[in-house]
Amino acid sequence: METRSSVFANPKPCKHLADYKLRHGLSGYKFLQKCLKTFPNGKTSIKMCETTMPKCSFCSGIRQGRLFLCLICSSMSCSDHTLLHSQSENGHDIAVDIERSELYCCSCRDQVYDLDFDKVVVAKNIVDMPSKTRDSVVDGLMRRSSKRRRLNSVVDLDLIRSKFFVWMRGRRAKSCYPLGLRGLNNLGSTCFMNSILQALLHAPPFRNYFLSERHDRETCRKRSSDQSCLACDIGVIFSAVYSGDRTPYSPAQFLYSWWQHSANLASYEQQDAHEFFISVLDGIHEREGKGRNSNKDNGDCQCIAHRVFSGMLRSDLTCTTCGFTSTTYDPCVDISLNMDTSSFCSVDVANKSVRPNEDTGRSTLLACLDLFTRPERLGSDQKLYCQNCQEKRDSLKQMSIKRLPLVLSLHIKRFEHSSLRRTSRKIDWHLQFPFSLDMTPYLSPSIVRNRFGNRIFGFESDEADISAEFEIFAVVTHSGMLDSGHYVTYLRLQNQWYKCDDAWITEVDERIVRASQCYMIFYVQRMLYYKANEDLSCTPMPSRRDPFVPIAGCC
Amino acid sequence: MSVPNEDNMSPHMQLSSHFLGDLLDSIIVDVASECHRIARLGLDRNLEEEEEELRLSAQARVTVADPSNSGETNGKYVVDIFGQTHPCVANEVFDCMNCGRPIVAGRFAPHLEKCMGKGRKARAKATRSSTAAQNRYSRGSLVSAYSPYSTSTSTNRLLNGTYSHTVEEYSNGTCEGP
Repeated sequence: METRSSVFANPKPCKHLADYKLRHGLSGYKFLQKCLKTFPNGKTSIKMCETTMPKCSFCSGIRQGRLFLCLICSSMSCSDHTLLHSQSENGHDIAVDIERSELYCCSCRDQVYDLDFDKVVVAKNIVDMPSKTRDSVVDGLMRRSSKRRRLNSVVDLDLIRSKFFVWMRGRRAKSCYPLGLRGLNNLGSTCFMNSILQALLHAPPFRNYFLSERHDRETCRKRSSDQSCLACDIGVIFSAVYSGDRTPYSPAQFLYSWWQHSANLASYEQQDAHEFFISVLDGIHEREGKGRNSNKDNGDCQCIAHRVFSGMLRSDLTCTTCGFTSTTYDPCVDISLNMDTSSFCSVDVANKSVRPNEDTGRSTLLACLDLFTRPERLGSDQKLYCQNCQEKRDSLKQMSIKRLPLVLSLHIKRFEHSSLRRTSRKIDWHLQFPFSLDMTPYLSPSIVRNRFGNRIFGFESDEADISAEFEIFAVVTHSGMLDSGHYVTYLRLQNQWYKCDDAWITEVDERIVRASQCYMIFYVQRMLYYKANEDLSCTPMPSRRDPFVPIAGCC
Repeated sequence: MSVPNEDNMSPHMQLSSHFLGDLLDSIIVDVASECHRIARLGLDRNLEEEEEELRLSAQARVTVADPSNSGETNGKYVVDIFGQTHPCVANEVFDCMNCGRPIVAGRFAPHLEKCMGKGRKARAKATRSSTAAQNRYSRGSLVSAYSPYSTSTSTNRLLNGTYSHTVEEYSNGTCEGP
């Protein structure tokens, strides 16, 4: 699979466009600049004359459709007559669609692209924007905010990984199975906890940190005078699970500590796995974040929970009247996605073997991400005050991802509230999720660029220090009803899937995982995934009989 | 939606039809132009990969739905990959870190809830366990340390439970059959 860079593919110009550029350079574009008209929704049009309607010079607009303005002589032709114009006037091949400001080659009869033309359009858009919006747009197009800090974090975690290697060499798996596979006993309706713990136990940067004993339990206990520390307790679980002992482990101490931390969730009853996940990260942050970093809430926190899971979301509120955009950034440790109930699967429609059923709809993860980043028109009862217009206006809200975390945790909101019947129900629909995920289309630069017609801006930062490509490593699934059900986690280790159902660890085919009802999906950056796989492969031990015969399987 | 025959239409209807046609054409060209740019500049997602994933997913669902393919055993009587079997209720026994009594793992949560006091703000027991040296679960005196933490609303939760039996009072912490 080709890697997709964040740069546009700069398409080769057709010979007519190349010829035009040679002869006329940028003069045609500069002339047009004065006639460009921008709109708050990001569209750019061309208006030649304020007083008369544009008409095709050949047919005077009986049935005209799109109009194209010749860049050399400014004559207007409709789509039916553009070829006539280029044939009658030699060299007049390049025109521009006045509705959308797109270059058109009359001879090739196709839309063409030129970086210099896009620059002119973009410049006009920027000039016309309210100044605060300009800053927010430019900031949105930049890929990285603080390159040095992120690099340090990645380098630091890589150092941890080399310490982990040292630790690993002292270990021997007692079977062919990867280290770290161990069942967790259900302590009484605690499968919500076990399922999340399994995912955390196999999140590569998180795992490396705890197995390298970066959280020093001795120092922590001395400092905290016996107050419970979730990070210490997780460290204990890591040591136990990666010890090589395969009998199921009871995370009782952890449950005890967690109940002390989350008073409101401390009870013997069924719980939500996502709530637990958030609560655990919060608990680790509380202990680790203190005293190390005073900026607890701005996403720069250096605690292991945030370094691994924290990303940044961008929210844009745009006034539909003037285009003024106000932007806010919020850190997040996961993304909760609504299921896109309107999507359909074109493959399924063609493939008759999947029986359609009214009760079971289906959706895809990419459709949910599309829904998450789609511009949402706020209702007329939710008019927001626009600083530029100085009054309340209809607005558009759009989310995008400013910064991706090392481990991306996606939460699927499988509930539907009916305000009419005042009930909630669980959406049992199947959600298709990919094993490899490219998050590029959901990043702020892609979203902001799309708002302005995907012009080649030419000033975004192209290289990304953190890639947008992820690999799945854990899926937490739920079966049953809204208030009673069961959680199971599937883990992908060295391209083999394992089912972790409380104390029972079994191997499963990937099809089981694809068909399961996902609730939380965990992805890790591709590079970290491949490195983690290397770490886990167990080294074959040579047989005493013949040290030179390679052993199939291991240990 | 059938297009009415132009000859049968009144001039008024013809004009309306003409305008509607123009509007539709304009929308279609807008979308085509936008998609053309996205495709030509390489901004579109790798569609072949997406379709492959969808195909695999559909295929997987068919395979799993087929009853003859139940290689996947759901029961708790299954043997795990290490060759072990486990009872429905986990039967490991360890000491409660709050009160020191030996508890069966599978009944630990209901015991702990009672032991810590339900809602456990009021009756948190301060017990210094004497077996701290031997038992790695014990942690010494208990100090209530909880942080205000905003949770999602109660309706936004998918709850779990493996046992259909209700909570039962255990007088001495020993295991009773369901």
